[in-house]
Amino acid sequence: MDAVTDTAVYERTIGIDASPETVWEFFVDPQKLMRWMGIDAELDPRAGGIYRCNVIPGNTARGEFVEVDKPHRVVFTWGWDGNDTLPPGSSTVEVELTPEGDGTALRFVHRDLTTEQAASHAKGWDHYLARLEIAAGGGSPGDDPWVTNAPSM
Amino acid sequence: MEAALKAIAEPRRRAILGLVREDELSAGEIASHFDVTRPAVSQHLNVLKEAGLVSERRNGTRRLYRARPEGLVELRDFLEGFWDVRLEALKREAEKEERKKHGRSH
Repeated sequence: MDAVTDTAVYERTIGIDASPETVWEFFVDPQKLMRWMGIDAELDPRAGGIYRCNVIPGNTARGEFVEVDKPHRVVFTWGWDGNDTLPPGSSTVEVELTPEGDGTALRFVHRDLTTEQAASHAKGWDHYLARLEIAAGGGSPGDDPWVTNAPSM
Repeated sequence: MEAALKAIAEPRRRAILGLVREDELSAGEIASHFDVTRPAVSQHLNVLKEAGLVSERRNGTRRLYRARPEGLVELRDFLEGFWDVRLEALKREAEKEERKKHGRSH
């Protein structure tokens, strides 16, 4: 069951020269979220509350808040509307904010939850597709080749 | 990169990629797994092939297809870029906000 334990999709820790309180707002306030991701957002930051972000036209990430511990830790589920491989709520994003000097150490983990799927497939392959899925759904900011039908390279 | 992203944006093509991840299969064998026509499968295979995600090998009169993991490496890097790019933007905006809050002190 290697695939079950190998569920982390993406993990980074970055330093931000801003207090955890300031950084926190960028995850729970739609106006602030849109300054770094998306063109429209609806957030209800309490356990069970909605997390919806239209990342780029035609690609809406949707899930719900799981843990909201201001300004330390926020966990929400994540998936793409209308997408079978990574449907809404099928993966989890965990964010931890730790004071570091005058700033914040932000630990960001995007974890895949489809362990059953993963276990039934070759190790890592589903995770791999799930990872690609995010790229497919997100593209680069402001650029969505298959939605706009731009000619391929 | 755009071709690869476009290729995997289609659910059926992702399913085909899954099928040929370990086994080398003909278009007919692939088609038998789906409720779609053989020409439709061939078209999907062409898209995957042109995107560098699937390789084609002739064996006599048969053409066999298999996933090309190395073709996915660039996509993986791109995906990592999805959050990388956004976290960079988050850092920039949060730091801007912090400076605004403390106005004159910076």
